[in-house]
Amino acid sequence: MKKLLFVVLFLVGIWFTVSYFIETKGLANKGNFDSIIINFENDLPTENISQELAIVSQSAKQEPSLNSIFSIDQHLYTVKGDKSLLHKLRTSSIKKYTEYIEPNYIYKTLETANDPDYSKQWNFRSINVEKAWDNNHGEGITVAVIDTGVSRVPDLRDTDFVEGYDFVNDRIDASDDNGHGTHVAGTIAQSTNNNYGVAGIAYRAKIMPLKVLSAGGGGTVADIAEAIRFAADHGASVVNLSLGGGGESTVLKDAIDYAYSKGVAIVAAAGNENQNSASYPGRYPKVISVAALDATGNKAPYSNFGAGVDISAPGGSEQGKEGKILQETLDPATRKPVLIGFQGTSMAAPHVAGTVALIQSSQLQVAKQEMAKNPKTKIKAEDLKATDVSSPAEVLDILKQSSRKVQDDSFNYYGAGQLNAGEAVTLAVQGKLSFKDFFRWLRDNGYLNPIFWFDGGAIAVLPKILMIVGSYLLAFLLRVYVPLQWGAPLNWGLIFGSSGLFFLQGFYIFDLPQWPFRIMGSSFPELGNSFQGSHLLNPFFASVLIPLGFLLLLLGNRSGKSFAVGITLGVASYLIVSAIFNPDLWLLGAGTVSQVFLGVNALLCIFLAWLATKGEQRLV
Amino acid sequence: MTITAIGKIEKKGFGFGVWALVSEEGKTYELQSPPPELCQPQAKVKIKGTIQEGVMTLAMIGPVLAIASYEIIS
Repeated sequence: MKKLLFVVLFLVGIWFTVSYFIETKGLANKGNFDSIIINFENDLPTENISQELAIVSQSAKQEPSLNSIFSIDQHLYTVKGDKSLLHKLRTSSIKKYTEYIEPNYIYKTLETANDPDYSKQWNFRSINVEKAWDNNHGEGITVAVIDTGVSRVPDLRDTDFVEGYDFVNDRIDASDDNGHGTHVAGTIAQSTNNNYGVAGIAYRAKIMPLKVLSAGGGGTVADIAEAIRFAADHGASVVNLSLGGGGESTVLKDAIDYAYSKGVAIVAAAGNENQNSASYPGRYPKVISVAALDATGNKAPYSNFGAGVDISAPGGSEQGKEGKILQETLDPATRKPVLIGFQGTSMAAPHVAGTVALIQSSQLQVAKQEMAKNPKTKIKAEDLKATDVSSPAEVLDILKQSSRKVQDDSFNYYGAGQLNAGEAVTLAVQGKLSFKDFFRWLRDNGYLNPIFWFDGGAIAVLPKILMIVGSYLLAFLLRVYVPLQWGAPLNWGLIFGSSGLFFLQGFYIFDLPQWPFRIMGSSFPELGNSFQGSHLLNPFFASVLIPLGFLLLLLGNRSGKSFAVGITLGVASYLIVSAIFNPDLWLLGAGTVSQVFLGVNALLCIFLAWLATKGEQRLV
Repeated sequence: MTITAIGKIEKKGFGFGVWALVSEEGKTYELQSPPPELCQPQAKVKIKGTIQEGVMTLAMIGPVLAIASYEIIS
């Protein structure tokens, strides 16, 4: 029975891997084609080829032609056709005279930008923006930039603007007197393919400049709240807030709730204090809070992390050459345009805001096409707005599901993962998220791939389950030789010794440090490393020492002893599973030495449990 | 909230740069509209001021400190 179970599990694993490969690496499900290649066998006489070509002409209702003059010797012909013709030809009598009949896939390069300094925008390649540009460029979307204002520097001249407002000076003209807001707007919608400067993410989206920060870079929550309401009331479907600080504010929270209820997605920077929680307003649950990555994809040194962080995106760093985010802005000292690199979560947020514009543009496009199919709704299709078809919750789901997961992120440096604009748009085009999409997401992220579970690189649920099941298995096997006191103390001992309450490790509560959850969610052998958030096991904790200590302390008490025996068996199970799947110890490294160390300690634990319960048997 | 803090003046590289007081305890305060003397690196200053709870900034490096008085120590 056990063998059968293993065979079934193995086959299921192989099936997932193969189907994953076919779906992602194979061309069968990916390419487009409008013609078919027919390659006749090289030694087939010319008269036979002519006969077969006549059959093809009948099926395809057109003459096949040589692919080029070089195809004569190869007997390589092409014919216009789709999937049904391909099927027809493959099942016809000509099949046996050919080497292959296959789709003539159309290959195309991804769209790129002709802006001369586009090559310096490492940040755009890291979010896979070119794949997103294959679908749209933010058409039909208005992004509100709530900041120091936005000035129309040369590289924003081809970008569309809608009327905004200057809440600092109470006037319609919301020009920038600091340079920050213009830089942020550049990341979102810098004029692109204009043979000048750099590119923007959603460069066909419209910018709504809303000035709330003075030339000094500060502003009041009252102005920021009013600007959010203004954006929601004047057609913006995305708001970017590259600002933060202060405390919780009712007026700001109410404004965010109002915009959210109107379908507006609000994106904010997580803050630059390198502290374990996002700043306000990024901290509000209805705001998408963005942490910053450096050019290597790691957490930027200044970026806030932990509670409230939803996703991470490039924010750049002054460490390393050309590691900042390059856009054109206005130098406040000279009042002249300048192409300059900035760093900060202020720069990370507009990467997400721009991507949200691309997502919403796709959703809008899909909805309009659907409505246009029906004569009754066709007229209304043109009036459709992004907020009619897209909800902030759905947008956040897409951002999270499409992001690149970062394994072993104990401190929540990256939120759901690293922003991936290309995948986000692909997911958005597919429309509503179905179970199938969820299944695909699971598979694409490797959760259904056996490698994910067995390479030991991730904190996965399966090893935890193996550990706890293993501990009960050990207890079950040992019961034959020694009497165990089954009850709550033994059960808790088995749980804390093997897996711990591991689900607690994912908890984040505002303002509270995360380490208590990591400690509470850890089993005893993990305690040595969970405080630091490291995945390397501490050899003093992941050994027989803790069970020995518990047994010595609790041997005199019946329940206590039962608890200690449970811990001993639980730890034994933990050590066995770690020895097999993830033998990685602090000081000893990952390899045979650690494997032997863990294995020997596991055996010592079993021996200890046997010794302890053997003593009890004699007492009875 | 009024506070008195001693520390050094540093320029932090966010946007075109902002001036901050990094206290001896290691806490960073963003200076609101600092006078020219505090717009340059200083080894040790004493600043009395109030924390601006209702102010948000583009730098997001810590609480915003409105300066009431200051003294350059060294």
